[in-house]
Amino acid sequence: MGICHQGRTLKELVEAKEKSFQQTGYAYGLERLGLVEEDPAKFMRFQMRLVASCINARESAKLISANPMSMIQGELLFMLANAEGDVISASYGLAGHIQCMPFIIRKIAELGFEEDPGIREGDIFSCNDPMYGPPHNADCYTFLPVFHKGELVSWTVGLNHIVDVGGIQPGGLGVISPNVFTDGFTYPPTKTGADFKQHKWWELHWKRRTRTEMFNILDDKMRVAGVVSLHDRIQDIIDEFGIEYYRQALREIIERERRVLVERIRGQAVPGKYRYLQLSAVNYKGTLGRLWPASNRNWVIHKTGELHIRADGTLLTDLEGLTSEADFHANAYEPAVRMLTSLGMWPMFAYTETINSSLLYMTDWNIPPGSMFNPQNPFAGTVMGLGVIAGYIYLFHNCLSLAYFSRGFLEETFPADGTTIGYGAAGTLEDGFQWAGGDMSLITCQSEGATPFHDGFDAAVCSPNPASDIGETEAVEFLLPTQVNIGKKLIPDFCGHGKFRGGLGIGMLQLVNKPGKSLILNAFAATDGMGACALGRSGGYPGTNDIVVFAHGTNIREILEKGGTYPRDFVEMNQWIREGRLRAETVESFKGPTPSIPCRDGDLFATAAGSRGGWGDVLERDYDLIEKDIRYGWITRKTAETVYGAKIDEDGRVQREASDRLRQEMRQRRKERSVDAKEWWVRERQRVLEQDWHEDIRNLYADCMKYGKFREQFTGMWQLPEDIRIEEAT
Amino acid sequence: MHSSDNGFSKEHFRLLIDGKLPWEEVKKAIRLSPKDADRFKKYLEILQEKVPWEDPILLRISDHLYIVAKPGKGRIVKCDCGQEFGDYRINWKLGCRVYVRRTDEEIAEVITIPEARHNMDLVEMREFYCPGCYALLGVEVVPPGYPPIFEMLPDLDTFYREWLGNPLPDEDPAWFQDRTLERPAEWIKEA
Repeated sequence: MGICHQGRTLKELVEAKEKSFQQTGYAYGLERLGLVEEDPAKFMRFQMRLVASCINARESAKLISANPMSMIQGELLFMLANAEGDVISASYGLAGHIQCMPFIIRKIAELGFEEDPGIREGDIFSCNDPMYGPPHNADCYTFLPVFHKGELVSWTVGLNHIVDVGGIQPGGLGVISPNVFTDGFTYPPTKTGADFKQHKWWELHWKRRTRTEMFNILDDKMRVAGVVSLHDRIQDIIDEFGIEYYRQALREIIERERRVLVERIRGQAVPGKYRYLQLSAVNYKGTLGRLWPASNRNWVIHKTGELHIRADGTLLTDLEGLTSEADFHANAYEPAVRMLTSLGMWPMFAYTETINSSLLYMTDWNIPPGSMFNPQNPFAGTVMGLGVIAGYIYLFHNCLSLAYFSRGFLEETFPADGTTIGYGAAGTLEDGFQWAGGDMSLITCQSEGATPFHDGFDAAVCSPNPASDIGETEAVEFLLPTQVNIGKKLIPDFCGHGKFRGGLGIGMLQLVNKPGKSLILNAFAATDGMGACALGRSGGYPGTNDIVVFAHGTNIREILEKGGTYPRDFVEMNQWIREGRLRAETVESFKGPTPSIPCRDGDLFATAAGSRGGWGDVLERDYDLIEKDIRYGWITRKTAETVYGAKIDEDGRVQREASDRLRQEMRQRRKERSVDAKEWWVRERQRVLEQDWHEDIRNLYADCMKYGKFREQFTGMWQLPEDIRIEEAT
Repeated sequence: MHSSDNGFSKEHFRLLIDGKLPWEEVKKAIRLSPKDADRFKKYLEILQEKVPWEDPILLRISDHLYIVAKPGKGRIVKCDCGQEFGDYRINWKLGCRVYVRRTDEEIAEVITIPEARHNMDLVEMREFYCPGCYALLGVEVVPPGYPPIFEMLPDLDTFYREWLGNPLPDEDPAWFQDRTLERPAEWIKEA
């Protein structure tokens, strides 16, 4: 006798759900939506009650947290799932996690949790292990069963991104971790509480296995408070509408909105195949040394993808050719892929009355076994796999933007590139107090890529979190006592250029203030010197790179004490150093993630991200837009001339006739220095035959050639023997 | 100006295509629900008026490029300047003029902040120009030796028959096949 409807077990329920969809093509086999048809107003009222309950749980629970990412920056989510695990409704916040819950419930069903440890009213379950559904261990899930007269009818779920996971690097997004044993505190599905309370022993894990016990314990209490409060509200709703209505309506919500998503694709897109590529890098060489010899190398990560918009309006995303799993932090599992990439789908087409698991019913994936997002090694490191998956958010932004552009729905285009930055910190203050933390401010204010009809907005979106907010600088400084913000601003010229340009990236400059006995900072970022995307859009240039610069041993305190101006971002800081106005003993520059860097009082720490791509040919940019850029200081005169072919006079106006001539000269230069594609192909083929590449590129090709699809394209394009081998560099 | 009864007027649409529609009006277009069902028809009409040639446009695939029905030549890619790139099933980049930026100095022309430039030991920036008008049609930043990326192969017959209810006269399953590799196969023979 199971705990679910009509005495079925949870495992039987999950299997029945999947079988009915496979057999009928309708979620839960629902060809007819009886409740929707009979009384749509009642149905809408019911659905809105669910949404309001989730939002209420979030807004009241988050006040318990002390973690600025939960309190201010929206890095949390509360959800209602049905017994099978499909998320029916969610609060605003980290919306991608809606995708994970069905995987978690399927896992605990398969593990036999119903028998042992049992699933009873008031039990609290916790999980952050990517093997079992959550995307990575910084996102901690707490979930509670909802029973009605002994029948499991729902789950209430809360999660948030914690400050520190106890990994090899401080913070929640470490970029060094060769395997799961260096990922930090990772727990599979665990019954951590009963009678609506966590067990006392559970707190000890946060105290002993992470650096930020206080934040993490309060976050746990926040999640419990949220799921219990949501549980009670759901009981009220069941009482009001009746259990039969409740059970059926949850299913009809999924099927109704599956149909909405399919029709939106058919109504706005064009069927076909769309290609995407983003490259990034993992640079371990010289950092890990002999301790992890298999990791003492660099990788160029090949994030290739092909989006199939199918005749029936559903989507297939094929990742064949993706880099293979390896001894690095960047591996991940299918739920993580579905979780993060959904952040490109919600805004592009998957928005409904309330986002939910309907998306799972119209999206399929091919993720080859052995690739980094389908690792066969159960101990693959995954702490920052999510960061690498992020590049695939933009597959949906860019491929669907092209599809909408072709169909004529220009206003629905929303291109974007992979760019983001944040950091972890850990130290010991002068009085011996040990602390750790992290800051994700620059993740929360990315710029928009250019569209076919306007420049991208500056610092306007947060791709990983639709409800995010840059937060309050003072609150972050209070919790990160060594980091004093002396600059946070948009950076001129920091964008991909085009007929319409990407929004400007944003930068921060922080003064390291009285760190005491020790301080290390480690930044994570999206680009690694490979740019934000491998493809420009319609002749526009793609976004550039995220930037991290450490200036050690500076005289910034003297400059500040004198008053007057001081540098505010990496461009100004480096300029001041070049001009001798700012002294620095050493400078360390990165175009992406960093190892753990020791810092001292008076060091400067500059970060910048958010440079996104342009749309269209730069030489077609409207002179009026260039004048506006000059007037606001968004584009420098040098860039206006060298990139856009616009001569600017002393008053900041475009000299139109001179600019017309300059643009003509630039077109002529294009003609003179370009060659026919065939001539380029002949030269390039010769280089391929000689395998005249950097060792990291050789290794990339050696790996990609294991996958048939890439191999066929590569050998076909360069007309190579079918049995050609590319050996890894030694 | 006002939106038409069917949601989005042709006048507003023209301005949107030209990048001149005020943002407040764009927001109204974004909020349209349902969207105007005749959008694609209006799009083709406006685009056909803008190009200086008569070949019927089947699909716009970039600012300058169109798939057109070319009498006697099937479905080909054509630039608004009139330059023809051949069969749309072959990546149009193989019909372009190509310029490759391989050094820091070369990429500095288009990324003026030195720190933001790419690691040119690992990637190169390819620019694809129209051989007719030298408009910049595409940009790739990829490792040397990377096959040019075929950004879009539309399934035109499914689109016209099943989604628009207006099948094309020359339907054939073969129209939805990537034939890009036929071009280098020809080149190697010529070489």
